[in-house]
Amino acid sequence: MINYSDAVLVIILLSVLIALESNRMVALVKIMGLQGIMVSLVPLFLPQHQELGSGGIIFFQIMILIKGLLIPGLLYFAVQKVAIKREVEPIIGYHASLFVGLMMIMVSLFITEKLQVTLPGGHSLLLITAITTLGAGLFLMMSRTKAITQVIGYLMLENGIYLVGTALSKQSHTRYVVEFGVLLDVLVGVMIMGIILHNINRAFDDVDTALLGRLKD
Amino acid sequence: MDTLFWALAVIMAGGILPFVLYRQFRMMKAAAVIVTIAGSLLGLLAVLPALQDTGPPAVTWSWQHFLTLSFSLDALSAFFLVPIFLICPIAALYSFHYMDHPDDAWRIAVNYFFFAVLIVSMALVVCADSLITFALVWEVMSLSSFFLVVHDFQKKETRSAGYLYFIFAQTGAMCIFAAFGLIYSSTGSLSFALIDQLPAQTKLAVFLLALLGFGSKAGIFPLHIWLPHAHPAAPSHISAIMSGVMIKMGIYGIFRIYTLLGDTSLLFGQIILAAGMISGVLGVVYALGKHDIKRLLAYHSVENIGIILIGAGLGMIGIATGRPAMAVFGFAGSLLHVLNHSIFKSLLFMGAGAVLQKTGIRHVDELGGLIKRMPTTGRTFLVGSISISGLPPFNGFISEFLIYFAAFHGLTLPGMPFLLAALAIISLAVIGGLAAACFTKVVGIVFLGEPRSEGAARASEAQASMLVPMWLLALLCLFIGIFPEPFVRLAFSGLRDMTLLGPIEPGTGQELLANLAFAARLFLGMVIAVTLLRKVLYAKKKIASGPTWGCGFTQPNVRMQYTGTSYAMSVVEFFQPFVKIRAAYSGIRKIFPGRTTYETHVDDIAEIGMTRYLVQPLARTLDRLRWIQHGHIQLYIGYIVLTIIVLLLVF
Repeated sequence: MINYSDAVLVIILLSVLIALESNRMVALVKIMGLQGIMVSLVPLFLPQHQELGSGGIIFFQIMILIKGLLIPGLLYFAVQKVAIKREVEPIIGYHASLFVGLMMIMVSLFITEKLQVTLPGGHSLLLITAITTLGAGLFLMMSRTKAITQVIGYLMLENGIYLVGTALSKQSHTRYVVEFGVLLDVLVGVMIMGIILHNINRAFDDVDTALLGRLKD
Repeated sequence: MDTLFWALAVIMAGGILPFVLYRQFRMMKAAAVIVTIAGSLLGLLAVLPALQDTGPPAVTWSWQHFLTLSFSLDALSAFFLVPIFLICPIAALYSFHYMDHPDDAWRIAVNYFFFAVLIVSMALVVCADSLITFALVWEVMSLSSFFLVVHDFQKKETRSAGYLYFIFAQTGAMCIFAAFGLIYSSTGSLSFALIDQLPAQTKLAVFLLALLGFGSKAGIFPLHIWLPHAHPAAPSHISAIMSGVMIKMGIYGIFRIYTLLGDTSLLFGQIILAAGMISGVLGVVYALGKHDIKRLLAYHSVENIGIILIGAGLGMIGIATGRPAMAVFGFAGSLLHVLNHSIFKSLLFMGAGAVLQKTGIRHVDELGGLIKRMPTTGRTFLVGSISISGLPPFNGFISEFLIYFAAFHGLTLPGMPFLLAALAIISLAVIGGLAAACFTKVVGIVFLGEPRSEGAARASEAQASMLVPMWLLALLCLFIGIFPEPFVRLAFSGLRDMTLLGPIEPGTGQELLANLAFAARLFLGMVIAVTLLRKVLYAKKKIASGPTWGCGFTQPNVRMQYTGTSYAMSVVEFFQPFVKIRAAYSGIRKIFPGRTTYETHVDDIAEIGMTRYLVQPLARTLDRLRWIQHGHIQLYIGYIVLTIIVLLLVF
């Protein structure tokens, strides 16, 4: 029997690793879209989440729409319009990043063991994935120069937080309202970042955040 | 209480109206002024019953369980409301012609808005009845006055003055909040009622912290640095309000915290008296040394705060040593001086504002002969000058006399209090003398003699809405001077709710007041008689008039006149160790000397000390930490991650 939830979690972990390793902006955005969809699907496959009300279904549809299509779509447009160079331009190299990603999985495993949270029905992999995604998001924000990768890192961070929430809390629809609020925050954040990106690009002819250092006092 | 809140609502409406009407410049100003005046009159109406008998019950207003605001109106609050509702409408009237740039209509509308916020918040500060309420309205007051100071924000000078004021206001507020925190940690309640149950050590700490906080607002000597910067930077009617009314909120705070603490130890009185004497004497010495007319007036505020504190300190010593007469006259003199100072100081700032508006010059040594060109401004300024010097028959004399009277009562005390009382008398005398010297300088140089510059020569009289307030205030100075009794009774009634003092006997000071009033009237009579006599004697004689300081020279030059600097220097030099004089003299080296220059600056030792021992070391230390701010977003995120990890490890 195929364990669907584990399969989804594995796909998420792989998407994290691919995101750390990918050197093209467009590929990165596409991977984020996939990750978004997968993350929003996770709660559906959890054992205690069998029955869904009509509200729940609508909620998940909107979730997939925003995480999987709307935000990546916006990012895609930003990449098409603003970024002249399509490369990711890392501070830490791709292979090193990949290695860091693998290390992060180890660390997450260690943390999950250490926390000793009683997780229902084989959820330990869920928590590991969640912490890895969270950490990888932070790492992506720190190790890439372009402003747009910061947004992507932030998005990954939010995915991680969502997964941690899923792992640690009892499933009920009221909780998702909070998640939904966070999601809207991210959406607004992406839009604002788009505007900022546009301005950075106009001011410096590039979207490298190192150029922002000139603005410091 | 309801009437008071209605009054405040009307004043606030006067602040919001200009935003609607700012396209019609004159109508906007007229609406703001009229509504503010109406609100203030309503406010006075609300205050008067509270002064006569016990005030209305406290009003409590709570929101969402955690924010409970409560206001009450006792005699002390009512007394401090009088200058607020008396001076603010007069200053608003003054602003009608003073704010005369139609191009800046929107900015002036903003100015009227914050003006209204300032009035309302000041009125609420004196009515606040719990720690949290007080803290909230106190902050609103500081912030609104900050926005009023930076009205001319295009000038760099104004911005740095505003910044300085902001730092002082916030640091002071922090000290006050620290005092409140101490109270809360000890009593566990935000109400004022339980403060007298604090342990003695905590009481002292609370008092000292509050003194630091309120002192920085009031401008007690080493904390006064913002005054001489912020007052010249602000528009003149704002300076009048800030110097005349707002800094008194610091005095109110000291009075209030002293009453609430209910501690009768001698130490409080000694601290307050010492602070008063230092601010009083040094304030007036620096005023003598400064030649920017508004800066000079700002230093006089420091001086008058000193006088007020001397009165309060004497009152506290009187309570501590069980001399009710000394306590009553000390506190009453102090309160009356609060009222008087608010009147004559705003009068003087308005005069200075008129001079500034008509000549564009603030430096005393470039003015001259203005009494011929601006007769009303000159005369009312003279009235204010005599009042502030504490000379009869004007109001400054009355309040200073009450404080003298308290100090003379203190001479019968043994030991340390005797010494302090004697010192208080000496410093009051020194302050009075130097203030008179300083204002002979200002009036003599600015209003008499011949104009020293183009701007002064071209000056003309200010418009009606600026003259009427000055006349009103000058008449009020004279009125309080000649009929002191109702106003002293007003000060007595302000002390009614001071439980430490006990009830004041109705006959207190009856005879003294009668004598005082008689002396003032006699003095006025003599002045009028001498003037009439002169008129009579000179009636038949031919009077020729020539240029001032002409002295029979064929070609008199305006530069032959005394300058303010030379006039004041001999006095300022006497106070050398406490006052730093910087002089630059090019010297005469040849037989036929070329152009020689001589320059002096009087520097504030508090300012130098604070720059050298506080600001510079701080700036140096912080400069070394500059590398933390490098501009790389990636590393900033790293900081966040590091912080989270550290927090996770620690907790």
